[in-house]
Amino acid sequence: MVNLPATPADILPFIIALVTSHTFITIVLFPGFIHLMLVVMFLTWYERKVLARIQLRIGPLYAGGPGGILQPIADGVKLIFKEVMIPYKANKPLFIWIPLALVFFAAVPFAVIPFGQHWVIANLDVGLVFVFALTSLFPSMILIFAWASNSKYPFLGGLRSLFQQVAYEIPMWISALSVVLLAGSLSLVDIVNAQQKIWFMVPAFLSFVVFFIAIMAELERLPFDLPEAEPELVAGWYTESSGAIFMVLFLALYMKLYLMSSLVTVLFLGGWWGPAFLPQPVWFILKTLIVATFIIIPRGVYARIRVDMLIKLGWTRLLILALANVFLTVLLLNTGVLSMWGL
Amino acid sequence: MPFESGQVPQGEARTRLVMQYYPYLLMFVVFDVVGMFLFAWGMSYRTIPLDASFLVLLFLFLLAAPLGYALHLALHRENW
Repeated sequence: MVNLPATPADILPFIIALVTSHTFITIVLFPGFIHLMLVVMFLTWYERKVLARIQLRIGPLYAGGPGGILQPIADGVKLIFKEVMIPYKANKPLFIWIPLALVFFAAVPFAVIPFGQHWVIANLDVGLVFVFALTSLFPSMILIFAWASNSKYPFLGGLRSLFQQVAYEIPMWISALSVVLLAGSLSLVDIVNAQQKIWFMVPAFLSFVVFFIAIMAELERLPFDLPEAEPELVAGWYTESSGAIFMVLFLALYMKLYLMSSLVTVLFLGGWWGPAFLPQPVWFILKTLIVATFIIIPRGVYARIRVDMLIKLGWTRLLILALANVFLTVLLLNTGVLSMWGL
Repeated sequence: MPFESGQVPQGEARTRLVMQYYPYLLMFVVFDVVGMFLFAWGMSYRTIPLDASFLVLLFLFLLAAPLGYALHLALHRENW
C-alpha cells in the first residue's frame, strides 16, 4: 500500500508511487481494464475473420492495418455516432441501464481470474462461486432488458434465455465440482497451482466436455443460440437495441466469451502453466484464445437445435455425465491413482 | 427501433405467455440448491472423514431415483 501524502511536496511522489504500484497496474493495465478492452476488440475482429475463412470469404479488409485489424475501432466510432432509438412505450431507465449492468457483471469476475502467479487482482477463497454467481445473473438481466424494450420478439428471446439457463446451469456446476474435488479448493489460484504436474482435462475429461458444451449454451453460441435465433426472432433479445446501447451489449457479450474461455483455461487447461520460454500471462492468453476459437468455429458449422432438445440434452445427457465424473473423481482420489501427480 | 421499421409498434408486446417446460423448471429449483451444497462438500473433501463423503455420495445416488422419475414425467409432452 502507498502512504497518503502529508505535505504538498509529497503529492507528486505519491501519485507516481500509486501509478506504479502493483495494485494499480493489475486493476488498470494488465488483467484489468485496458487489457480487457484490447482483447474484446481483438475478439470481435477475430470472430469475423474466422467465420469468413469457414465460409470462403475474406472478412474485414479495408479498415487499416493487416487484414483490417482496426475494424473494431471503425465499428465503435460508427455505433457511437448513430442515434440511440428507444422504442415507443419502452421502459427507458431499464433499457439504458441493463446493458451497463451486463458489462459490469461480465467485467467484475476478471478480478478473480489468475493470469499468472502474481497477475491476479484478488485471490478470493470462493473465486469459482463468485464467477458463477455473477454470470448466472445474465439470463434474468436479459429477460428484464427484453421486457423493457416493449416488443414481441425480444420478449420471446428473453424467455428462451431463461429456459436455456435451466438447461445448462446445473451440468456446468456439477462438472466444475469434479475440479473442486481434485484441487480441494474454490480459489482459482489454488486450482491452477494444483495443475502444475497434470492438467485437470486428463483426470476429469468427461467434465471438460460437459463444461465446454455448457458454456457454449451459456454464451448463446451457435448450436444453442436460441435467445437470438435470427431466422425466428429477428435478432432475439437485442432486436430493439441500436447505436451505443448495441455497442455496450456486444462489449458485454464478448467480454463474457473471454471470461468463460479463460474459466475453461483455469479449470481444465492448467491456467498459466507451460514451458518456461514464454512468460505465464502469454501462455494463459494463448490457451484462452485457442478455447475461444473452438467456441467460435461451430457458429460457421452447425445448425440450431430446438429449445426442448436443448433442455433434454442438458438434463438427460450432460447432467448424468457430470455426475458420473464426480463419482469417478472420488474413486480416483481414493484409489491413489493420482498420487504420482501430487493430487 | 430497428424492428418494425421505425413505425409505432402495433399490438401488445407485454402479454401473458405460458411458461412451458414446467417440470424442468421445478427440477431446476431443486437441483440449484443441491448444487451449491455440493460445492461446500467438494471444497472440504480432503478435511472431512471418508464416512461423511460416502454419506454425500449415497445421497447423490439416492437422488437418482427421483431424478429418473422426474425426467420420465418431464419428457412427456403433455406435462410441459
